[in-house]
Amino acid sequence: MKRMALAVAAALASIGFAGNTLAQEKTVSIAAFGVKSGVLRLFGLNSEAAINAAVEEVNRSGGVKLADGSKAKMVVQPYLDDRCNAEEGIAVVRRLVGTDALVAIGPTCSNVAEPLYGILQKKVDDPKDTGLQFPILTDVAIKVGLAQISEWSFRNVPNENTMYSSLYYWLKTTRPELKTVYGGVEEDFAHSRASWHVVMKERANANGYTVLGESKWLLNDTNFSTQVREIKKANPDILSIAAHPFTTCGLLKEMERQGVKPKLIVGLTSTSSQETMQGCPKQAEGMIIPSSFAPVSKEAKFASEQTAKKKGAADLHSMAAWENVFILKEVMEQAKISGKTDPASVQADRRKIRDGLAALKTTKGLLGTNKRTADREADKPYVFVHAKGGNWQVLYNPL
Amino acid sequence: MFDFLQAVVDGILFGTTYSLIGIGFTLVFGVMHKINMSYASVSIGAAYAGLLAGSLIPGASAWVVFGFALAFGGVFGYLVYIICFHLIPIRNENATLMSTVGMLLLVDELITHFTTGSPQNYPSMVEMQNLQFGEMSVRPDLIVVFMVSVVSMAAMLALLYRTRLGLATRAVAQQPVAAQLCGIRVVRVNAITFIVTGLLGGIAGALVCSAVGTLSILITGPLTVKGLIVTVIGGLGSVPGAIIAGLMIGGLENIFQHFRGVTERDLYVMLLLFAFLIFRPGGIFAAGRGRD
Repeated sequence: MKRMALAVAAALASIGFAGNTLAQEKTVSIAAFGVKSGVLRLFGLNSEAAINAAVEEVNRSGGVKLADGSKAKMVVQPYLDDRCNAEEGIAVVRRLVGTDALVAIGPTCSNVAEPLYGILQKKVDDPKDTGLQFPILTDVAIKVGLAQISEWSFRNVPNENTMYSSLYYWLKTTRPELKTVYGGVEEDFAHSRASWHVVMKERANANGYTVLGESKWLLNDTNFSTQVREIKKANPDILSIAAHPFTTCGLLKEMERQGVKPKLIVGLTSTSSQETMQGCPKQAEGMIIPSSFAPVSKEAKFASEQTAKKKGAADLHSMAAWENVFILKEVMEQAKISGKTDPASVQADRRKIRDGLAALKTTKGLLGTNKRTADREADKPYVFVHAKGGNWQVLYNPL
Repeated sequence: MFDFLQAVVDGILFGTTYSLIGIGFTLVFGVMHKINMSYASVSIGAAYAGLLAGSLIPGASAWVVFGFALAFGGVFGYLVYIICFHLIPIRNENATLMSTVGMLLLVDELITHFTTGSPQNYPSMVEMQNLQFGEMSVRPDLIVVFMVSVVSMAAMLALLYRTRLGLATRAVAQQPVAAQLCGIRVVRVNAITFIVTGLLGGIAGALVCSAVGTLSILITGPLTVKGLIVTVIGGLGSVPGAIIAGLMIGGLENIFQHFRGVTERDLYVMLLLFAFLIFRPGGIFAAGRGRD
């Protein structure tokens, strides 16, 4: 009887000890949001998988070191769906401000990021500016120049200007017989539109190509006969398509029907995904795209495998989300956040994270070192991939 | 001038896809005087189910996928009838309208969920390049779509005017109470109408996806809008009207695009719809009567 009582007491003590340990386990909370519905759902699913996998990896290696020297477990709040809608994206972030989340990773869409950054405080310490003081480190929204909107907005997305400039230069060197470029642009989508008019067209011109013109269509168009006839008439050496997979595939299939074959097709960064390979693997064969991710390094392969375990695919967007988690861990440790959950401490930690992000000159990326620019953007290493046999393969690695 | 003519031909041919969807919308309206907003979405859903079923059979041809789409179309059509019309008080027009809107959104979300929003490669019915007539080129697959539209129209008219079922359907459409008093089983007739339009929707969904080359929920929204416009302009309940209006909208779209650019194209299509609603509310095939 006595022995039994001792055993029960020991069991109770151990339960109490475990409970005490759990109660004392510190956490730092981050949030993530983007698209998880509609045609861009895959972007959100992949980012969510990459973030969850990266957070697991951070915790496996001990978590985040706090100002008092203790370690905290990083937790990520459930991924929130903004439906690629500006109002919903703003509502999501307003809701997050009221939680203990220290920072958010997102959004997916540039048309969400632009107005969302607009509701953040523009200049830090401006007493007249009542904008939200909440740091956001974007993984996907890629339209050029957005982070300069607010000093609380940061991005770890590839620099399309650099990438397309490099691509056209490389093509000029390796394929000197190609002289002319024609554009195809999804005119009603912020990223596609900006990518053609501000990036591809300008970079092609700057590299000595003759830009013959452009054909336009809309995001949910299904008939591309007129546009393909325009392309056929222009007869360009290079066709640069600034569109997402659905219309890119529609255009490529119409080109096949009309027998239009430019010598080379250049695609939009976001098209170097599995979606294109599901929609039109045969027609996309040979298309070249600059990408800030390919599983070419040990770290990149590892990140890709871990994300796959969470049922996500590794691409330039989801792997930026993976990198963001590690950037945040580094910043939290360097900025010596307290990890306390009272509102004043949470806000103080947010500010420390913002300042830490702003102070970064470089970050560790999966393809090498990512440079940080003064306007809170990233300048990431890249490779050129091409569609081959239903997969994206590295065509040229300038690293 | 040649570019203009080619654009018109391209548009008219692509308008065949609008015609096919318009026929489904107009049939349900003709029989039940109800708008089934989920029609285009369910048609694409049937096409997707057909694609999934076809993928289970190694080496299945495009025709097998279309066969499955047809069958699923019939099943889904019946389900839509049961859920959105039979279980909901049919006299409450707003309730049935809203239930079909709900069904549209539900089917969209289901397709999004299963495809993760990614476009799916859809087999082409006619694997060949465009036919050349001098400088003019014509898409062979759209000619097939046009022929299917015409055959569907003929089959529908034969069904309506040459069979006992058609007689019962017309009786229910004109006087449901009197038809019931004559011993016609109104519920059965309505259910069969939905199955028939569902079968047609299955074909339409598969042909539209085949014509576009990919299946995506991005198709359902514009197709629903175009289907409704075609139904209104063709004349609510008129099958030949739906075909002609579909071709007309397809051609006009490309004309507007040719002269005003892609960003203004849909603006003029909508203005055309309003013009019809104001000046000829019964559509092309309506008897000349006032909008009141």
